Amino acid sequence: MSELGGQDADASPLTSDLWHLSSESVQLVVNIIVLAAIYALLACGYVLIYRVSRVMNMAHGELSMLGAYLLFATATLLAHHPIAALIVAVLMSIAVGVLVYVVLMRRMTGEMVLAAILTTIAIGILLRGVIVLVWSASEQHPLQALGFTNPSLPVFGGARISTCAALIVVMTALVYGSLFAFLRFGRWGVRMRAAGQNPLLAAQRGINLHAIYALAWSLSTLTGSIAGMLIALDSGLDQSMVVIGLKAFAPALVGGLDSLLGALCGALIVGSSEVLAIHYVDPLLSDVVPFVVLIAMLTVRPWGLFGTREELDRV
Amino acid sequence: MSQRMLAGAGAAVLAITAHIAAAHAQDAYVIGVTGALTGPSSGTNGPPVEALRLYVDRLNAAGGINGKKIQLNILDDQAEPSKAATNAKRLLTQDNVSLLILSSLSSTYAPVVAESKRANVPLMFMGAVCPKEVYPPAQALQFCTTAYAGGYDSRATLDFIKGAAAGPVKLGLVAMAIPLSRGEIDYAEERAKTMGMSTVDKEVIPPPTADYTPFATKLKDADANWVFSWAPWVTQVKTFEALRRLAWQDNYIGWSHIEAEGELARLKDPKLYVIGANSFFQDRLPVHMEIADAVKKASVRYPAEQMTEGWIGGLVLEAALKKAGWPVDAGKVRTALEGVSVDTKGLRGGPLEWSKENHFRARQYYRFYRWDEAKAAIVQAKDWTAYEVR
Repeated sequence: MSELGGQDADASPLTSDLWHLSSESVQLVVNIIVLAAIYALLACGYVLIYRVSRVMNMAHGELSMLGAYLLFATATLLAHHPIAALIVAVLMSIAVGVLVYVVLMRRMTGEMVLAAILTTIAIGILLRGVIVLVWSASEQHPLQALGFTNPSLPVFGGARISTCAALIVVMTALVYGSLFAFLRFGRWGVRMRAAGQNPLLAAQRGINLHAIYALAWSLSTLTGSIAGMLIALDSGLDQSMVVIGLKAFAPALVGGLDSLLGALCGALIVGSSEVLAIHYVDPLLSDVVPFVVLIAMLTVRPWGLFGTREELDRV
Repeated sequence: MSQRMLAGAGAAVLAITAHIAAAHAQDAYVIGVTGALTGPSSGTNGPPVEALRLYVDRLNAAGGINGKKIQLNILDDQAEPSKAATNAKRLLTQDNVSLLILSSLSSTYAPVVAESKRANVPLMFMGAVCPKEVYPPAQALQFCTTAYAGGYDSRATLDFIKGAAAGPVKLGLVAMAIPLSRGEIDYAEERAKTMGMSTVDKEVIPPPTADYTPFATKLKDADANWVFSWAPWVTQVKTFEALRRLAWQDNYIGWSHIEAEGELARLKDPKLYVIGANSFFQDRLPVHMEIADAVKKASVRYPAEQMTEGWIGGLVLEAALKKAGWPVDAGKVRTALEGVSVDTKGLRGGPLEWSKENHFRARQYYRFYRWDEAKAAIVQAKDWTAYEVR
């Protein structure tokens, strides 16, 4: 084997073909995992808010993009302190989530769900405009601003992954692990679940619903921002991130809008369908595949893979 | 005061304001612009509109043209065909513009062209890829100042690759899934065959995409040693970066969009080439200094090197309106545009000249740039080469 883990020049053609095939397959698997991780990290934001408040946050893509721009801003301002820039950006993202709830969404509590959803659409439109006004429409590069590089790492079987893409995968695992543990064992996590199952009863038992909803919004914005930041670090930051956030809605629905496990599985299903369609069928299908999978799921199992069946009435 | 009196007073104020605005508009050249100021292609289309605005503001500050100011009515279409159509309709029927300017993705062209034809108002593409309708014999109402254009760009690029390649060329092609990008890459594929190059893979990538690696993987697996991309910069650069992340080490050439100069300096990759019709600011011509100075004074958010397309649009607009005289209508503007001959002062390889039959230019000039590691600077890979436009 050569230094880079590739094949020896003296290998027979059959061995060479097998190696090439194996390398291709491993690269495909890596690509699927990375794309699924991106979708999963974005999808959990939709689930967190819906699970607790039955509101579909249509501004999630814009909030994720805002998180990335906040990182760019802190990276520029704190050019020689990248870690501080990252921490400040994360804290600002949490603050944005709380602010969105306290200033706007709190007023929608008790109103029609449709009104709340329309409010999130308006928030998204507002954010898009503000972002262009503040940062312009040019592509930005937070990675360079932080002074980091994004080297390509060799993976088993000759495949490769960028450092930031690997970080996306690791962070997705960390975020989901933390959320599962928090919701299962954390005091506030249990309260969130209670508020999601029966808000009236939860309120009567002394659970502060506004605090719970604010927590959900802050966690959702945080996870979305982490996704946005990592995507921006890997491949640059521009307005197209909004549409990526929208595409992640499909995995959330496929898995079940109130299930984190569902979001993870939905992301894997959609991610693998997309990568395989690009590789074996037609690259143009990459835009269509998430929604084809979604339609197929809605036809067969409208509440999603792991969603609660009763949610169908609310959707 | 009763409600009825208040309503009447309000209506009167509105009517007077509208009348004043209309009177003011009638005393100015009214030019409409629909552009992708926000949205996926705003990085490419936003700066030309901003540069045009800057140019027009300078003209107006200096007294305007023929003693009249230019009123630029700018609307955002977010590169969405339906929004572009609505903008065009409003600019043409309500604002009564005598020239409509478009700076957006090619997916917006069809509805805007239809509106311009309906209103019989000339349409100028600026900072947006030139459609084939501006080539000879040109469609009467369509004009294009943009550097890049279908057919000629691929010819020049493939000629360059053929000249630069050390051995057989295994060509990879990359387009964005929008009409003109796809059409150009299809043309490049056909032309490459006639030049003895084999196309090993062609990727048509939808905008936007969460991860370009799957597309880059196919190009790498196909063993391309030259990849040519003719698409908005976002597709070009992200595919290139994805290829490099896969440890693909060969040559990549893309169109030199407004972002190219800054990006070549950021990426510092000696095998990344750009082909363009605009000179780079690193050439430090007097006109570059003039633009940089104007950008600094106006505190424009975009870098000066992204202003070239819009500045050329401004040069052409100025020349056309001077020629059209006053009072002006769409017909006079169209006639003036047909005879435009503008000295681009080194921004391009030669003058921009239009005729009744040719609304593109008489000659298209190309230059190639790349990053030189030894000099730690951008260098010309090939100087101006002219192609006759027939």
